[in-house]
Amino acid sequence: MESEPVIVIHGGAWAIPDSLVASSLAGVQAAAQAGWKILSSGGSAVDAVEATIVVLENDPTFDAGTGSVLTTDGTVEMDAIIMEGENLNLGAVACLGNVKNPIRVARLVMEKTDHTLLVGQGALEFAKEIGVPTISTESLATPAGWAELERFKTYNKAVRGNFSERQGYGKLSGHDTVGCVALDKRGLLACGTSTGGITGKRCGRVGDSPLVGCGAYADKTAGAVSCTGHGESISKVCLARRILENCEQGIESEEAIQHGLSFMRRRVGNAGGAVCIDRKGNPGIGFNTARMAWAAIVRNKATSGINPGDMICFSE
Amino acid sequence: MSRIPSTIIVHGGAGDIPESRVPLKIAGVKRAVRAGFTRLALNGNVLDAVEAAINVMELDAAFNAGYGSVLTSKGEVEQDALIIKGSDLNAGAVGEIKHLLHPISLARVVLEKTPHTFIVGSGAEEIALEQGMTLVSNESLIAPPAREALQSYLNNEAAGTNELGNEKGTVGAVAINEKGEIAAATSTGGITGKLPGRIGDTPIIGGGTFCNDSICGASATGLGEAIMRANLTSRIAHLIENGTPASTAISAGLQFMTDKIPEADGGVIAITKTGEVGFQFNSHRMSWAYVQNNELHYGIEHGEDNIEPL
Repeated sequence: MESEPVIVIHGGAWAIPDSLVASSLAGVQAAAQAGWKILSSGGSAVDAVEATIVVLENDPTFDAGTGSVLTTDGTVEMDAIIMEGENLNLGAVACLGNVKNPIRVARLVMEKTDHTLLVGQGALEFAKEIGVPTISTESLATPAGWAELERFKTYNKAVRGNFSERQGYGKLSGHDTVGCVALDKRGLLACGTSTGGITGKRCGRVGDSPLVGCGAYADKTAGAVSCTGHGESISKVCLARRILENCEQGIESEEAIQHGLSFMRRRVGNAGGAVCIDRKGNPGIGFNTARMAWAAIVRNKATSGINPGDMICFSE
Repeated sequence: MSRIPSTIIVHGGAGDIPESRVPLKIAGVKRAVRAGFTRLALNGNVLDAVEAAINVMELDAAFNAGYGSVLTSKGEVEQDALIIKGSDLNAGAVGEIKHLLHPISLARVVLEKTPHTFIVGSGAEEIALEQGMTLVSNESLIAPPAREALQSYLNNEAAGTNELGNEKGTVGAVAINEKGEIAAATSTGGITGKLPGRIGDTPIIGGGTFCNDSICGASATGLGEAIMRANLTSRIAHLIENGTPASTAISAGLQFMTDKIPEADGGVIAITKTGEVGFQFNSHRMSWAYVQNNELHYGIEHGEDNIEPL
């Protein structure tokens, strides 16, 4: 039985500055087009999610892959997850450096190992062993990323050993996590998320993105979702699962996202965004940050936005 | 309005525990729950209580946590742990810990002293150093049964099977005080023969550990990958939130997991916001013990519930 394919993506929910609006919109539109090409020609949701996220990772506008923010030591540590909703298979990586596309490594974890999450040096060793080319930190970092780290360090007067609450996290660091949910013609759901994390993070810090149930989740009995926003807050409330619990009860995507975000704000006080496809195939987006770059394609209709209420059409 | 009884429950892992290990497991969980309850009775601090209980099991070679942790494919110990405070959902998790006897204590530092919720590898151990915790050699965490389990795994691998070690001894604890404050914690060495850098369900909020004062605290044990895929404790918590009794919710969660992933089995312990205790497992055995109303309950076989005065 054929399903109507759907793709929804985000390029991060945060106070995106005016200077990044145009490139963020262009970026999410291009990524959606890449994923749609696969879905509309009968390709799988997992392939579409991977391809979409690769485009976003390769776009230095976004804090994922190339363009990832830097740790306090000036390194790049990336997290990513990919999951399918039929059998709940998933693969994830965290604190992975020196590869161009962490989402590809996450997929290899899913398909070539018995594991679901590999971190750090172990993740890099696995990537090398399976033939993923390694690249320098310099080729992942951007001048903007370096400038952001400098600003962060100046603002916080960071001293080795001082790990008390860093004031700057809310103000200076973006939340540019990228993500995607897709439904293919066979009715299969998939989701994925990828990020470089937050500027000035400690080495080894893992946010919500690669954590199943927090940054992303897919389950055909509920839907598929990818989240973005304040990583620790999303983890504490298991935001992806919370949104899908609403979908399980028949609540549609957008309302489910709003319930999840409201709960998170009430309970732990921070903001974010998400994209979702519920079990009936309805796409949804939502955010309670100032902006979120997003794009969606369904029934050959392509829409995108960045400010609340935007509905900017583009060609699929 | 009924009083919430101060309660603590622990597990020492669900799996195909051999007969020879049963007395050690039972003695261990009883010792752990007593240690945890002593702390709870002292000051009602639920984080202190679960940390103390888990510390006892991390020291005990009978359990797959701390000393006695199983080994990676490279013959090293890599531990994961998570502790969650149910009042504000604050959490601290660590992963890939190679040089600490008490990873749960480092997880607590992450919770209380950093703005983060999950730190892995050498980054996490740096925090331990900064805090004045004692780092130990990886070698000192390796107990003989762990070496034997790895050898057996490698032999089977060579023979073409994919046995990942059938005694998955993750340890966990959940505690509630009279004010209804809940803490949950889990600590593990993972699974025998895992790839270096492999993280299981234990440090994933909603996976192997869950805690929210308005719902429940829970800790799971079993095949980590399956628990993650099923998002087990989050699923169980959702059922409890909607009024399902604890043990029924746990059974339903385990059933969901096994229906989706037939080779998976495991167990979960939980305490709800009213102090209701739940524990269930669909593996061969699971060692557990709890203290409530001056009684110590414990068991390891299906249907067992031994009681002795505290």
